Amino acid sequence: MPDVQSMVAEFVNKLRKRKIEGSQATAKCTVELLRSVISHQRVPHANQAAALIDAVKAVGQQLVAANPVELAVGNVVRRVLHIIREEDLSLTTAAMAGLDLLDASDDDDIDNCKGIGYPAMSAAVVAAAARSTLRPPSLQTLLEGTPESATVPYTSSSGADSESKSKSADKSSLTRKLKHDVIEGVNQLIQEISGCHEQIAEQAIEHIHQNEVILTLGSSRTVLEFLCAAKEKKRSFRVFVAEGAPRYQGHLLAKELVARGLQTTVITDSAVFAMISRVNMVIIGAHAVMANGGVIGPVGVNMAALAAKKHAVPFVVLAGSHKLCPLYPHNPEVLLNELRSPSELLDFGEFSDCLDFGAGSGSLQVVNPTFDYVPPNLVSLFITDTGGHNPSYMYRLIADYYSADDLVM
Amino acid sequence: MWRSSASFILDKHLNNKPISITHSIDSPPPPSDSMADENPNPNPISAYYETRAAHHGIVTSEWLEQAQAAVRRYPDHDCSVSPVSGRPFSVIEEFNSWRQQPDLAEAVAAIRAFAAVIRASEATTMMELEIELKKASDTLKAWDTTSISLTAGCDLFMRYVTRTSALEFEDFNSAKSRVLGRAEKFGVISCKARRIIAILSQDFMFDGCTILVHGFSRVVFEILKTSAQNKKLFRVLCTEGRPDKTGVLLAKELAKLDIPVKLLIDSAVAYSMDEVDMVFVGADGVVESGGIINMMGTYQIALVAHSMNKPVYVAAESYKFARLYPLDQKDLEPALRPNDFNVPVPPKVEVERSARDYTPPQYLTLLFTDLGVLTPSVVSDELIQLYL
Repeated sequence: MPDVQSMVAEFVNKLRKRKIEGSQATAKCTVELLRSVISHQRVPHANQAAALIDAVKAVGQQLVAANPVELAVGNVVRRVLHIIREEDLSLTTAAMAGLDLLDASDDDDIDNCKGIGYPAMSAAVVAAAARSTLRPPSLQTLLEGTPESATVPYTSSSGADSESKSKSADKSSLTRKLKHDVIEGVNQLIQEISGCHEQIAEQAIEHIHQNEVILTLGSSRTVLEFLCAAKEKKRSFRVFVAEGAPRYQGHLLAKELVARGLQTTVITDSAVFAMISRVNMVIIGAHAVMANGGVIGPVGVNMAALAAKKHAVPFVVLAGSHKLCPLYPHNPEVLLNELRSPSELLDFGEFSDCLDFGAGSGSLQVVNPTFDYVPPNLVSLFITDTGGHNPSYMYRLIADYYSADDLVM
Repeated sequence: MWRSSASFILDKHLNNKPISITHSIDSPPPPSDSMADENPNPNPISAYYETRAAHHGIVTSEWLEQAQAAVRRYPDHDCSVSPVSGRPFSVIEEFNSWRQQPDLAEAVAAIRAFAAVIRASEATTMMELEIELKKASDTLKAWDTTSISLTAGCDLFMRYVTRTSALEFEDFNSAKSRVLGRAEKFGVISCKARRIIAILSQDFMFDGCTILVHGFSRVVFEILKTSAQNKKLFRVLCTEGRPDKTGVLLAKELAKLDIPVKLLIDSAVAYSMDEVDMVFVGADGVVESGGIINMMGTYQIALVAHSMNKPVYVAAESYKFARLYPLDQKDLEPALRPNDFNVPVPPKVEVERSARDYTPPQYLTLLFTDLGVLTPSVVSDELIQLYL
């Protein structure tokens, strides 16, 4: 246990000092940390899922507080919570339906469990009610009843379990089963996060055609893999890279692209509007995708999106599933942005007389935001590892990946 | 309209002919129908908007006349809904008695009426009960064809009953009591829905924002009340909302809560739009496309807000989702209400008396419902899940 605490504290420190770069790396490290938390967590015999959920939530809150701008942290914490709920639900419904899941148990005991203290509702009704608590609230379940009625058979079944004869064997195997399933689910999540680039790059051939001109901004590994995958399938096209001041990451991307044999042109950010009429498609890697379909990307993408809209150029956003955030941007310019050091714009020593507040004369302020928000009506297509989607479809993916109870942490 | 079709000439011919009104046999015609024979316009006054006007305490002289005439003509008209004849039970009466309460939504009143039907029913199987409820639902819907939330509420409840009866229950009484319990709890659900919506929308109101409100929606009022209680600093611009004068009423209520309010005439919306940060409206109904049907003037405000890049937020409970897909403004059931111009209007002059309009989904930013914050495209998904 203390080992886990120190791991968590170390990771929180790394997040706070922004030592981990990139949402994929952050997401992977977070999930691996949560996996250790889960495997080390000792769970009680009744209501194990709740204990796991509480433990993960506690750690998750610390992580999110350490770096609130890196939305991938909150996203994967919510994914893990959703996995726990799902596995718990499938185990409970399987047990209630009388399936013989447990390795060491007698059939007689299972029948006894079902007979003892069971409410006067058929198992199908109860299972349906339990399933409805996991899905987000919908019109169907509006009149069904409050979640309390669903948890009543819950505890009664676990109470019935405790009354059965082979109780210790049943309980410990049930415990192991839940944790085992959850860890399997978490491993799958890690696989998904690691493999998102390949999944997205597979779809490149459908979107990039012969002799096209693609515009991109800044540097994104997803975009790099996407373009290279199309190149490998023998499509010949040109790429314009906007340099992405003040970090000039576009230069790095241009170097990589040339190394892979693509014809590349570097332009300044201010030249985007001038060049947009000669471009067939704009492809951007997102930092995060919000629930309304809005995109948080590197600073400058909003300008590229507006230019693309004006010239009717398709604006395509690439995002792995760990970037999908279930929150709505209430005030995106302020809340989800990070201001970096002004030294990226102005060298130390330059303008020192204007910047000196003590002198009292003239105060020069330097604002260096990291991110930009693109509203959903400017985006034509989202390409995630599950395929290409409309911005108005993002709520569906979010409903699939996350539970409604985990939105507020 | 004047350029695209000369239909107004045809309409005038039609209006001069004598009209016959047909209604379903087992429902008492609404009181305004008594006037319809003398009214050149064949469409009756919408009962839904009459009730809303009554809630707001707005009584026009025309409406009062009609109500008095109705009382004179139909003193005790009963309609028996249950299959056992000889029992004077009227779904319409029940519904009306619930509807008069200003705090209760239409759908809630309808479902309370259904609860009364269940209590009074003598059915012995779920199927029988379902048939009775279907009849009651059809009666209510036929009585007021213009109210969307009424139709939606009835349909929702009927779906729930159908689904419940499809499951196997040991005995009929427990099923009946379960359905009855749900129907009576629906009022609680509705109040809870308003509170959930109020909580969800808190994040979207930042300190120092200016909100434009149109029409007196009880949900939007709940949102503003909750924000005031959370000590948020904001200011509200109310449109006057002619001819219901809803804006004045809302302004009075908001002033009681110490919220800074400014009244605008309906035409001043574009003039004030640049100082507005967001627009909040309620909805009489949310249609399948994700658009809304609301008090006349909402479409106008949404268009202006959209052209000036201001977000339009709709606050609506989920039981208002209806299976309608209007393609234009005239695609709705005409819902008319008396327009008091305070000066006598010569009889040759036509008056546009529609009480509501349809706002297409592309002008709406987000919907706040008790199912969560939704984009307009989610509505059709929810409806498909429920009905198909």
